[in-house]
Amino acid sequence: MSERGYKMSIALKFEGYHRPANVDQAVKILTKYGNNAQVIAGGTDILPRRPGGNNAGNGKHLVDIVHMGLDYIREEKNGIYIAAAATINSIGAFPLFSQTPYLALSEALACHSTRTIRNRATIGGNLCNASPCADLALPLLVLGARLIVAGPEGNRQIPIQDFYVGTNLCALDSNEMLLEICIPFCEEKTGTSFLKLGRQQTVIDMALVNVATFLTMEGQCCVTVRIALGSVGPVPFRAKKAESMLTGKRPDKKTIQLAAEAAAEASAPLDDIRATAAYRKKMAVILVRQALENSVRRYQA
Amino acid sequence: MKKIDIKLTVNGEQHEMAVAPGERLLDVLRERLGLTGTKEGCGEGECGACTINMNGQAVLSCLMLAVQADGATILTIEGLQKGADLHPLQEAFIGESAVQCGYCTPGMIMASDALIRNNPSPTQGMIRDALANNICRCTGYDRPVKAVLKAASQMKERKNG
Repeated sequence: MSERGYKMSIALKFEGYHRPANVDQAVKILTKYGNNAQVIAGGTDILPRRPGGNNAGNGKHLVDIVHMGLDYIREEKNGIYIAAAATINSIGAFPLFSQTPYLALSEALACHSTRTIRNRATIGGNLCNASPCADLALPLLVLGARLIVAGPEGNRQIPIQDFYVGTNLCALDSNEMLLEICIPFCEEKTGTSFLKLGRQQTVIDMALVNVATFLTMEGQCCVTVRIALGSVGPVPFRAKKAESMLTGKRPDKKTIQLAAEAAAEASAPLDDIRATAAYRKKMAVILVRQALENSVRRYQA
Repeated sequence: MKKIDIKLTVNGEQHEMAVAPGERLLDVLRERLGLTGTKEGCGEGECGACTINMNGQAVLSCLMLAVQADGATILTIEGLQKGADLHPLQEAFIGESAVQCGYCTPGMIMASDALIRNNPSPTQGMIRDALANNICRCTGYDRPVKAVLKAASQMKERKNG
């Protein structure tokens, strides 16, 4: 109930709100409240949870990381560093990401929810919510991103493939927070692609299947191949067997098709209100195939 | 549960208040400030009826806590018209019959306003992209898109003329 006695249509019952000014303060608050603390940035994933539904935030202490200067995107010697609270739209406007090697990332940024939501939604939120459908996880998986995490003992790094532990569960301890994401520079000749199959009900709906691919070649043969799939298992994952089927081979139609089938075979989708598992698996083949074809075309362009 | 003191500038007026951590910006605008032009549709970010302009960008006020807006400059549909004169977007929505029941209209206009502020000559594609988070269940989308195109060109004419 608000002060004037109106009944608010959504009763979000957070226990407290904290606005740390720096990482030390944030980690201290997280350490104090442990599992009762909830880091918040844009809030677009935390706030829609309705009473009666998955109201994960209720009773928790919010720790707002928006006022800690964590909104930068900068190039350093060994890669591009994106701060956890950088908004999706601000990352999409970073000029380097419109260059060929990073197209998988810019495509995923453009597919994420809507322009309006992307003004608030952050990369850290998309990753730490640990949804199996998280769009940004896939390009970061194929680009080999590392996550830099702050905790009471200082910072540590987690390769993104080790970050997802289970559905809505990431490798952060309750006293840790994501600081920044490091994307290593790609060779100029790298072909990447991101594709997402949605339900076309509303634009903000989650993906049915989303995939990202990464490919470099030498002569006619693939050298490095990375394939990541989302929404078709408990966590976003790399399809290593499918990758090895292309490595050292010519990316002809048949080899790509076989690799795409192997990638879908590695998935474990569920039936839910959005789609059947069988449909997801069939579409995973098609999306991986198309993304690999895009990658080859972009590499050769 | 401790309340938090916040300051907001809404439609040019400054407000100070103490809010609960879970109070949404939408509820503060509607219930504390009486600015009921901003609507609640779905309450979970799908429909866009609660779109406002915060620090120059379109945001959803149902997906924001009031504490997160502390210090922000906010514009709602009530702040758009100047005195008795409607904003060109409001005029164009009326002129193009882009309003039927009207529930989505404030959100559509605020999303369009943010677009035009950042890009005075939007293409039809940009308008559709900017309005992708605004659901209309009666008029449809062609007329709002036409209205935004018309308003944008009128605003440019007025500026140049």
